[in-house]
Amino acid sequence: MKLKLIYSIALILISTGLKAQNIIGEVEYRYRIFYDKIYSNMPHITEQEKDRILLTWNNPEGYSTRMKLQFWPEKSIYTFGAPYEVQSYSWQVEDYFIENNLEDQTYLKYMDQMGKTYIVTDSLNTPKWRVMNEIRDILGHMCMKAVTEDTIKGQKITAWFASDIPVPTGPEEQFGLPGLILAYDVNDGMLIVEAEKITFGEPEEIITLPKKMKGREVTGAKYQDLVREFIQTSTDSKRAWMWEIRY
Amino acid sequence: MKFLISCLLLAAITFSSQAQSKINISGVVKDTTNSPLDYTSVLLLTPKDSALVAYTLTNKNGEYQFKNVDRQPLLIKATYMGYLPLQKELVLPETGDLEVEEIQLMPILQELYEVVVKAAKAPLMMRGDTIEYDASKFKVPPGATLEELLRKLPGIQIDADGNIIAQGQQIQKVTVDGRRFFGGNTKMATQNLNAESISKLQLYDDKSEQAKLTGVDDGVKEKTLNVELKEEAKKGGFGKISAAGGTDDRWTANASFNKFDKTNQFSIIGYGNNVNQSGLSFDDLQEFRGSNAFQFGDTGDFGFNGSGGISYVVFGGDNEESFEIPFNNLSSGFSNNQAFGINYNYLKDKKDFSSNYFFSRSDQIVDSYNSRTTFLDDNSSFTSTDKSTQNNVAGHHRANLRFQNELDSTNTITLTGKARFSTLTTSLLSYQELIRSSTEQSQMERNNKSDKWSGAFQGTAIYRHKFKKNGRTFAASLSNTYSKADQDGIQKSIVDLVNSTDPNTYFRNLDQVNQALNSSNLIKSSLLFVEPIKKTLFWESFYNFSLSTSETDRQVYDVEASDTPQLNPDLSRFFDNTITYNRLGSSIRYANKGSNLSVGLAASNYKLNGQFSVVQESEILGAVDKNYINLTPNVSYWKTMKGNKRLNAGYSMGVTPPNISDLQPFKDISNPLYIREGNPDLKPEVAHSFNTGYSMYDPATFINFRITLNSTLYESQVVQNQTIDPETFVTTFKPGNVSGGQRHFSYIGFGFPIVKTKFNAFFNANPSYSKSLTLINSSETETNTFSHNFGLNLDATPLEWFNIYAGTSFRLSKTKYEQNPSQNQDIINWSAYTNMNIKLPKNFFLDMKFNYNRYKNESFGFDQEVPILNAFIYKLLGEAKKWEVRLSAYDILKQNQTISQYAGQNFVSTGRIETLSRYFLLGVTYNMRGVEIKNRR
Repeated sequence: MKLKLIYSIALILISTGLKAQNIIGEVEYRYRIFYDKIYSNMPHITEQEKDRILLTWNNPEGYSTRMKLQFWPEKSIYTFGAPYEVQSYSWQVEDYFIENNLEDQTYLKYMDQMGKTYIVTDSLNTPKWRVMNEIRDILGHMCMKAVTEDTIKGQKITAWFASDIPVPTGPEEQFGLPGLILAYDVNDGMLIVEAEKITFGEPEEIITLPKKMKGREVTGAKYQDLVREFIQTSTDSKRAWMWEIRY
Repeated sequence: MKFLISCLLLAAITFSSQAQSKINISGVVKDTTNSPLDYTSVLLLTPKDSALVAYTLTNKNGEYQFKNVDRQPLLIKATYMGYLPLQKELVLPETGDLEVEEIQLMPILQELYEVVVKAAKAPLMMRGDTIEYDASKFKVPPGATLEELLRKLPGIQIDADGNIIAQGQQIQKVTVDGRRFFGGNTKMATQNLNAESISKLQLYDDKSEQAKLTGVDDGVKEKTLNVELKEEAKKGGFGKISAAGGTDDRWTANASFNKFDKTNQFSIIGYGNNVNQSGLSFDDLQEFRGSNAFQFGDTGDFGFNGSGGISYVVFGGDNEESFEIPFNNLSSGFSNNQAFGINYNYLKDKKDFSSNYFFSRSDQIVDSYNSRTTFLDDNSSFTSTDKSTQNNVAGHHRANLRFQNELDSTNTITLTGKARFSTLTTSLLSYQELIRSSTEQSQMERNNKSDKWSGAFQGTAIYRHKFKKNGRTFAASLSNTYSKADQDGIQKSIVDLVNSTDPNTYFRNLDQVNQALNSSNLIKSSLLFVEPIKKTLFWESFYNFSLSTSETDRQVYDVEASDTPQLNPDLSRFFDNTITYNRLGSSIRYANKGSNLSVGLAASNYKLNGQFSVVQESEILGAVDKNYINLTPNVSYWKTMKGNKRLNAGYSMGVTPPNISDLQPFKDISNPLYIREGNPDLKPEVAHSFNTGYSMYDPATFINFRITLNSTLYESQVVQNQTIDPETFVTTFKPGNVSGGQRHFSYIGFGFPIVKTKFNAFFNANPSYSKSLTLINSSETETNTFSHNFGLNLDATPLEWFNIYAGTSFRLSKTKYEQNPSQNQDIINWSAYTNMNIKLPKNFFLDMKFNYNRYKNESFGFDQEVPILNAFIYKLLGEAKKWEVRLSAYDILKQNQTISQYAGQNFVSTGRIETLSRYFLLGVTYNMRGVEIKNRR
């Protein structure tokens, strides 16, 4: 049902055909993950181990990756941004692309997860967002708070969307709010994704998916099953799953 | 924003389910001056959980419309940049559509928006009519009071008397977490509460105390400020204490305590025992050092290394020369150990300071038996045996300091200081036999004592700079290590049977005192510069310098007949030397999409200078003056592939200069059975190392595989050539260069689950081959050693309360003597283990560990089995499981001893140390955080 409303908004924005400054642009996000917090909250960790992890691996800054989202009223595409620091070595070979097609309400994810390359396609299924009575400013945009839950990953998600950028998409796998999601947070700070630069207008260099995509093609539902099973097996083996699945 | 025009009117949000329960909702949004607000988001939510039902935008007339919305209780919410979002409940008509009354948005006080939302980045929370925000987002100087924080907040003034005026009214009372603070005295609270400990401030009208008491609302409202304190989640403390006593006066005790908050980490630890534990466990060490437990890259050595990219990190042990805190150390023999340590870390902003002091003491008695058979060219051999009792009393004080400061985003400085001071007293009683044949034997008793202290200090400074150009970096390091040792000793020996008068024989009576004073100083400095040429191409240059000076002063006095000790000029030696090292190198690195290739070349120069005499200032007996220049290439490649696969390969050339002592043109007869003679013509050892490896891990199936192959070919290996006197059996070692030596070792590991998450297997093998060449009595002797090692490990958790681990490994070392095949040796080490953890009802646990080792060498008829069985039963007590009572049984079969076997170029040795055997302990542990059960590896 809700797809329809997003669809209609998108349709309006497209059908007006008018150039709006804030419905096309590029956002750079800082993706900060706090492995110490995630690790110390794993179900099998004892109180003593929790203290030990926080004591020795405590990293108040988290580990940062720059991500990039380009958005138009009809679609958005998301992948890695330029690294913060140019290193004289390279270890990252994983692909991570998320393309949301807001016009026909579908998505395409091309990503290396759980040791394999997956091509996931399905229709966008808006999560149940609850809009809260809180506002905050992100890069000059007044954002409202909305919360939802990811039951598969066991995550409490707090997102902040800018209603003055009426494109219902966002970073990572977040979308479906009455404005662009400029920040979100998982489980009170285990992961913090925050916009740090917004450039309106047609992006200079549009992100393109690799021409040849090699990988296992699955539906969204099948992929969810794989994730659920992977998390279950990892939990049973007392291993952390966040190294292999995007948190 | 006008672009949206009236089209938005068509933003009919349609829900296509049951048609009869649908409703159209429309309305208009204006601001307080009655102007319509266009481009305003209007949301429909459910009142129950604020779930988003529909949303739209207003048109230029501020109008919005929702079409065909499910008829259900709804909230409407409008939000517009710079205005307070407004939310209200909709009253749906029984039938027909709803025209919502005009929504008026209030602008956010500019001061509030600018100061709170924009500057302090604090979210604003609307609760009815009151606005709440997170006061902790306001920056105040450390130690600031609540009053200073309040002064920063918009809408709040503090008058000259310290009264708080909020929204024009004086605050009547201050509560902390909802409770009255010191009788509600506002000034008491504002001037004493620390601003840094406050998380939220809430301002509201509270009923008067009178009304609260009587329960009758007198209509009087008191302006109240409630202060919410931060959760002290970051603060914590944990600790444990345990003690156990048992049979044969065995005992062990340890205690540790940690206290930490966001910026400070403090810990103390101590242990004592007579069960051979002479170091911390790894977990204890980690807790003790806290944030400082894992620090890498503090050596300040830059540039590629000569060992083919393999660097070895040695962990554990209680090495006298080491600055590191001992851990994972179980000593042989019988020992009595104590230790105490204190650690403090301070972490604030970009500053990171850590410090610790650790004292350890060990009193160890080692009864050992060693046997060494040396082969002679005529197929004969002789055997020397040594039965000894040694008592070592060692004490080590160690202190470590580290400070790292990220001065700004481009400059980082790291300073480390390490110091140690050790005392070591040893006494040795030994009975040696030299067996030529069943008729020719000689015996000697030795009684040596020595007292030694040694101290060292190391200071390192590392500076790193990142240039504006991303990828361009510079680093410089400087370090100084100074050490000094002073030893005094007594050496006595009495020969029983044949007291040879030949001074070149080992077996003779001795009565000597000796003293040695050694000192050394090492200055090191390194520079590194990395320049990005392209996005994927880097140019790296480095320079290393080191200057090492050392001085050895050993004086030996004979105290045989005369009362005044006589200096023995054959054994006394003074020598000082200097090694200067310079290396300049450069490499090109290519890094792209997981592929990394580095090709480099370095030029190195070693200068060795030294001279020696009997005592300082006496006649120079010899001098060393050597200069070596070498060019060393280096290639390394690694590639990370999708699916956790990695491939690497590399080549490096290593140049190691000879030891100064190997260059001295002089005989060292301090150990008369093994005379050492220097070789001034010695060249540096050149080694070519090749390494390659592949690894993969599939996280979905848990299958992992790893293979590595490392080879080293020696171009001019420094070996100890031997000359054995067939009469006296005195061996003279003289170093020489030989080419053709080789070492190859490989590793294969394969792990897979048999039953996922329940039963895993891991197989590993590391075959190796080495070929060494030496001159023995002037003839080249080739020794080939093939070593085959296979291991299999299984772990199973068939049930939640039961785990079992089992494994076995088998090592066969075949040593072949090319010139003397009859002496070929097959040494077998076979081991097997099983560990079992069972969780019994009522918080009882049972652990059993069985280790079996077998040492075999058929050519000597040596076959020794060492089966060790340990068992532990323990129970956790209390609801929080903070207490544990444990009964431990060690070496139930009473079989423990330490065995070693080795086959060298022309000898085979075996050793055996009597070690702590069967004992039982009963102990209690208290853990503040609850006892940790480790039933998984």
